[in-house]
Amino acid sequence: MSIEYISSILTPMLEGAQVTVLLFIIAIVLSIPLGFLITLAVNSKIKLLSGLAHSYVYVMRGTPLLLQLLFICFGLPMLPVVGENLVLDRFVAACLGFILNYSAYFAEIFRGGLLAIDKGQYEAAQVLGLNKWQTTSKVILPQMFRIALPAVANESVTLVKDTALLYAVAVPELLHFAQTAVNRDFTILPFFIAGVIYLIMTLLLTLFFKWLEKRFTFA
Amino acid sequence: MMAILEVTDLKKSFGELEVLKKITFSVNKNDVIAVLGASGSGKSTMLRSLVHLETIDGGTIRVSGNDLVKDGMYSKPQDIKRITSNMGMVFQQFNLFPHLTVKENLELAPRMHKRESVQQIEQRSKELLDKIGLSNRASAYPGTLSGGQKQRVAIARALMLNPEILLFDEPTSSLDPELTAEVLQVMKKLAEDQMTMIVVTHEIGFAKEVANKVVFMDGGEIVESGHPTELFQNPKHERTKAFLQRSLD
Repeated sequence: MSIEYISSILTPMLEGAQVTVLLFIIAIVLSIPLGFLITLAVNSKIKLLSGLAHSYVYVMRGTPLLLQLLFICFGLPMLPVVGENLVLDRFVAACLGFILNYSAYFAEIFRGGLLAIDKGQYEAAQVLGLNKWQTTSKVILPQMFRIALPAVANESVTLVKDTALLYAVAVPELLHFAQTAVNRDFTILPFFIAGVIYLIMTLLLTLFFKWLEKRFTFA
Repeated sequence: MMAILEVTDLKKSFGELEVLKKITFSVNKNDVIAVLGASGSGKSTMLRSLVHLETIDGGTIRVSGNDLVKDGMYSKPQDIKRITSNMGMVFQQFNLFPHLTVKENLELAPRMHKRESVQQIEQRSKELLDKIGLSNRASAYPGTLSGGQKQRVAIARALMLNPEILLFDEPTSSLDPELTAEVLQVMKKLAEDQMTMIVVTHEIGFAKEVANKVVFMDGGEIVESGHPTELFQNPKHERTKAFLQRSLD
């Protein structure tokens, strides 16, 4: 195995890794706020809204992400009448699938964070005359995010690995290029390289979240 | 002397259980009232209903001449907020904000209310931290404080809003005995500064020493109330006698 060979397969794989990273960033940046909105909807006093949010979370968590991706990429265009307007770019479709799916998981994580906050915090805020918005933004949310942080970190690492599902909807990414090289050159090396690249990504992410956790430890 | 807090025929049930049965009492300026009673006697619920942490089913609560609730009918939300803002509350579990420093805990509410300049707020938080002897912990997080220190911070936080009446819901019940003293010390100092206080407590010593009136509750009723010396030395009711007997053992 020459250095030349490794560098020749590394180039497309790193390009693929860019797609992986791009999907990860888009998915995480959009699914966290969306997940938070869903948490608010789940906790809403409006029965209809809360019911819809509950069903959404149930469907998104209760079916495989792969099925959801296939549904968006290949299923939507087959719908009668509206189908031809729903032919999305594969990458865009995949982003959409990841955002919708992950927002449901983040919603559950944030809901857990809210439940973990003692009711005494709300009472103290009330007695100090804080209004609902002040209580939420200054007292509850900072604590909720801190409590949710380890679970968010875990979910983010899962997201990095789940990007490999792009393979199934034929968007070329890291794993796709590794598999191509394995088939073409009849060597297992590209799989190892892909594994190392994933490990580097998850390591960086883990270190980042460790730093965040430390930064927001109030002791 | 005008009462700054008048409670008349307060009633409250949790489902079938009647926790407050026609509670009536009044608080004058500079009173320090100790409320005693066994767990389940309704004393905490009574205290919490004064600041609208519990909603009552019937009766009247009048604060400085304003009706918080009259014959079971609550005032408008903005009036409730204005009226309850005359009262501060100190909880058994402190309920400090764990993500904020001691100084930030004190200053959060006044900064939100924007009724004073930041300089005034910082000046007062400094004075109050000095008063409770925690000036050196201003930038500490509550998680690093002892229980007694936490409760002293909670008292200072309540004082930041200049309440007319300060309510204490078992302020020392979750503290180790050696930490209770430092909290009682601060409360004693407040009493000397003419702070009006209602203290739900198990500390008979504090009631004897600091309170000018003791209220004994049992089964959702005020069984007996009066000056501490009188109530402790000559309890009139059997239930009071039995409670004091148990507490002194």
